[in-house]
Amino acid sequence: MIVSWNWLKDYVPLNMPLSEAEERLAMAGLNHEGTEKIGDDFAIDLEVTSNRPDCLGHVGVAREIAVLWDENLTVPNPTPATSATGISDVASVSIEAPELCSRYNARLIRGVKVGPSPDWLAQRLKTLGLAVISNVVDITNYVMMECGQPLHAFDFAHLKGGKIIVRGATKDEPFMAIDHRQYVLRPGMCVIADESRPVALGGVMGGADSEVSESTVDVLIEAADFTPLAIRSTARALRLHSPSSYRFERGVDPAGIDWASRRACEMILDLAGGELSDGVIDVEPDPPAAREPVVFRFSQVKRILGIELEASRVEGILSRLGMDRVKGDKQSAQFVAPTWRRDLTREIDLIEEVARIHGYDEIPEDVGVPMAPSNRRDVDRVKQIVRQVLLASGFSEAMTASVVDEKSSSAYSPWSQAEPIRSSTPMLRGADCLRRSLIPSLLESRRINESLANDTIELFETAKVYLPREGQLPEEPVMISLTSGRDFFAVKGVIEAILSALHVDGTLKTVPVNDPFLDTQQSCQLLIDDEAFGFLGVVSAASTKAASLRNPTTIAEIRMDVLQKTSRLVPQFNPLSPYPAINYDFNFIVDENVAWAEIAGTVGEAGGECLEDIHYQETYRDPERDGSGRKRLMLSVRLRSDQQTLTGEQADEIRQAIISACEKQHGAALLG
Amino acid sequence: MMALSDFVAELDQLAAQAQEAFDAASSQETLEAARIEFLGAKSGRLKAIQKQMGKVDKADKPAAGKRLNEVKQAIEETFTEASERLASGDTAGSSDVVFDTSLPGTSLAFGRLHPISQTIDELMDIMGRLGFSAAEGPEIEDDWHNFEALNIPREHPARDPLDNFYLSTAKQNANAPDDVLLLRSQTSTVQIRVMSKTPPPIRIISLGRVYRPDTADATHYPMFHQMEGLLIDKQVTMADLKSVLRLFATSYLGSEVHIRFRPSFFPFTEPSVEADFSWNDNWIEFGGAGMVDPNVLKAVGYDPDEVTGFAFGLGVERLCMRRHGVSDIREFYKNDVRFLQQF
Repeated sequence: MIVSWNWLKDYVPLNMPLSEAEERLAMAGLNHEGTEKIGDDFAIDLEVTSNRPDCLGHVGVAREIAVLWDENLTVPNPTPATSATGISDVASVSIEAPELCSRYNARLIRGVKVGPSPDWLAQRLKTLGLAVISNVVDITNYVMMECGQPLHAFDFAHLKGGKIIVRGATKDEPFMAIDHRQYVLRPGMCVIADESRPVALGGVMGGADSEVSESTVDVLIEAADFTPLAIRSTARALRLHSPSSYRFERGVDPAGIDWASRRACEMILDLAGGELSDGVIDVEPDPPAAREPVVFRFSQVKRILGIELEASRVEGILSRLGMDRVKGDKQSAQFVAPTWRRDLTREIDLIEEVARIHGYDEIPEDVGVPMAPSNRRDVDRVKQIVRQVLLASGFSEAMTASVVDEKSSSAYSPWSQAEPIRSSTPMLRGADCLRRSLIPSLLESRRINESLANDTIELFETAKVYLPREGQLPEEPVMISLTSGRDFFAVKGVIEAILSALHVDGTLKTVPVNDPFLDTQQSCQLLIDDEAFGFLGVVSAASTKAASLRNPTTIAEIRMDVLQKTSRLVPQFNPLSPYPAINYDFNFIVDENVAWAEIAGTVGEAGGECLEDIHYQETYRDPERDGSGRKRLMLSVRLRSDQQTLTGEQADEIRQAIISACEKQHGAALLG
Repeated sequence: MMALSDFVAELDQLAAQAQEAFDAASSQETLEAARIEFLGAKSGRLKAIQKQMGKVDKADKPAAGKRLNEVKQAIEETFTEASERLASGDTAGSSDVVFDTSLPGTSLAFGRLHPISQTIDELMDIMGRLGFSAAEGPEIEDDWHNFEALNIPREHPARDPLDNFYLSTAKQNANAPDDVLLLRSQTSTVQIRVMSKTPPPIRIISLGRVYRPDTADATHYPMFHQMEGLLIDKQVTMADLKSVLRLFATSYLGSEVHIRFRPSFFPFTEPSVEADFSWNDNWIEFGGAGMVDPNVLKAVGYDPDEVTGFAFGLGVERLCMRRHGVSDIREFYKNDVRFLQQF
């Protein structure tokens, strides 16, 4: 809302410097956006929050000033002179859609002389940045900017049958607005029609063929109240926002409607001549009930604001704001809020009024807030350890958008085959799918980095994915996802390091996945014991190409909740064996299809309780000596007892047990 | 018995340690001491290992002996070199090779935490010290948690489809708002979830991603992070709010900070304010705050005459941009590794 400094002086003395006014209004709720000097006037831009439509006019702002500086507010009382002929003889108003328009007030002025506005009026409108059109139209705008009530002037000659019918629009009803553009209306929009056609879009904009022009002689002045929600959806749907719709959306002062009409008529008679027909047509199908008084317990000031205020101070502030004290005693009083403050319906609303007028700077900032313990959540502890491992392994943290486009969404979705949840408006260009995996987003970040010629691209992200569920809110598991330029085992090693750092209670297992997104061989699902935990693999050549990536990448995506469930955040001490260890190396020749995990499992079992560690060394293939389809697995084991020093015989027994178990179960031949 | 591999490993370790000791010697005296330690005829460490030869398997003995001789020779050569180096009186040695200390160290590839995460950690840390525990909730929310319980009734403009990411689920239709799902537009939803389950007192911060359909530009992104604090107890006042914010801002900025309130309007708080903090003689916008609206307290089953509370919220990105001098919010989501490595 832009207000004119000079105009405000019509209602309240401005003895303070401009800057002081700006500052104090801001501290009382009218945020100062800027001031521009225009001629000998200042255009002050004030931000008005949506709960304060009363400040969308000069009188409202002047009232705030009067309250803050304890000055008197002077509001004119318009009493335009009327002629002998009554308006009801020639005009009629009916409201057929009371759900869209709760009140319609009309006055008729005959024989006006439409012409330019006087300079003082034109200047005030220009200060506010409004177009200057003609005296009659300018006056309707002027009164709106004075009190916040939008008005509309019709050329009465163009209202067929002298009728105003307020009704809902029909489907696809055409309407030519004052901006000379054709709009297509729909039910739920409020139309002001005459006998045969729409002449205005109620509360939003007038119609082209009933607008006041130089040839206009008789004008009908509309002052009405339209339903905020209907106005808002109409303005949005048609992208037709006007100062009128802005005010109706927020609500107008029901008691100010007739005042605005009289004020405009008085000014038209004064500046454009003509005669005001006797009376007013004021249709209000369902007049609002009188406002209920609000009980104000004075003790609540201290309880909510933390400061003591005398009851007289509280009552003084409220009464200057227009609150009517109907009864009360020392403990409490009842107040009826003024019609222009529909936002004041509860005790807490009045407390806020007291606070902002008394001044928030009176509230201390150094009271002793009691101490309280706070708990760190396990999920945060797990997250921190995971991050430590990832950072140490060379991964930097990325953050990507939760909503992705169709291509990314369908590229990879290992957790759910259900259709992704979609947002009804895309978040970024074309992106309307809530992601089911972080991997496609990370690959996109990878692509951007490749295009920037960044050579080391090691990224991770921890974020939620959204997995649809029938009949309830979607599941939102947190994933830890990686993209790396390193190979399968490098990334697997990082995951193993995470499990180790978290002392995960369980064994990491891999099972094959058949997902064309990943390389046929170098890919797997990860389990902790038998619980699905994640996916790991090299992105297949086709998917690499589809993601516009130049270089191969290995990805992994693991579930935070499984980590949290299996981790031991407070590890327990294991007594250390004081006895020496004995190490053995083994070099087994086995068939290609014998997996390391199988050999390791067998060695672990055969090694018994003295087996402290199994360490994989390498795989070696020598088809000439071992035959094709055979490989050598080299490993070492460490044996140690916590009861005694193992004797050579005991250790050798275990070694033999390992060899024969591997031979028996996997056909492994010990080499050398 | 002793495995050959263990014997060899011990020898190799000894050779490495001897080399290190001889190279490090800066005088004939320290060199001589090192010689006695490793090559001493009676109780030198090499001698000690030699004694273990007996434990090695008979078949492995020749191999063990061969290795022992090689290592002994190598250690003696290293000693001679060190001795010559010291005799020449110059630690650079007699060769033409110059040890260049200005060469870079062996590079260590480590990653960086995203600046947003670093800021969040800082905020959680400070609020934790003030007694606020972290809480989380779903990002996909229903009508009740995102609007109704937060005192945002059906006809409120905050529900406009242009201001929210509604989800197109199969069940959804405009006439049955109870089925409506959306990406949460604020983390206040978490407060509702916590209060609905927990009796007062409450002292939490909720942190996480929120979504609003803004066109992405230098200062807007349709997804951002919010931190909200909530304190509910008997006798909580606006003075407590101001004081907690001052403690918070002072902890964050590390110097004496003051807090200013300007009236504002939010559906879920009353009174509502914009909080600013003073910094370098300027007032900096901190975020929205206020006393929890009695309607919100009632919605979660609290009695507004029993308890009061305050809430405040701030945008993490904005704070992070100011903290690190980032001029474009979109940088946070591009993940250019050169950007990430700056933090």
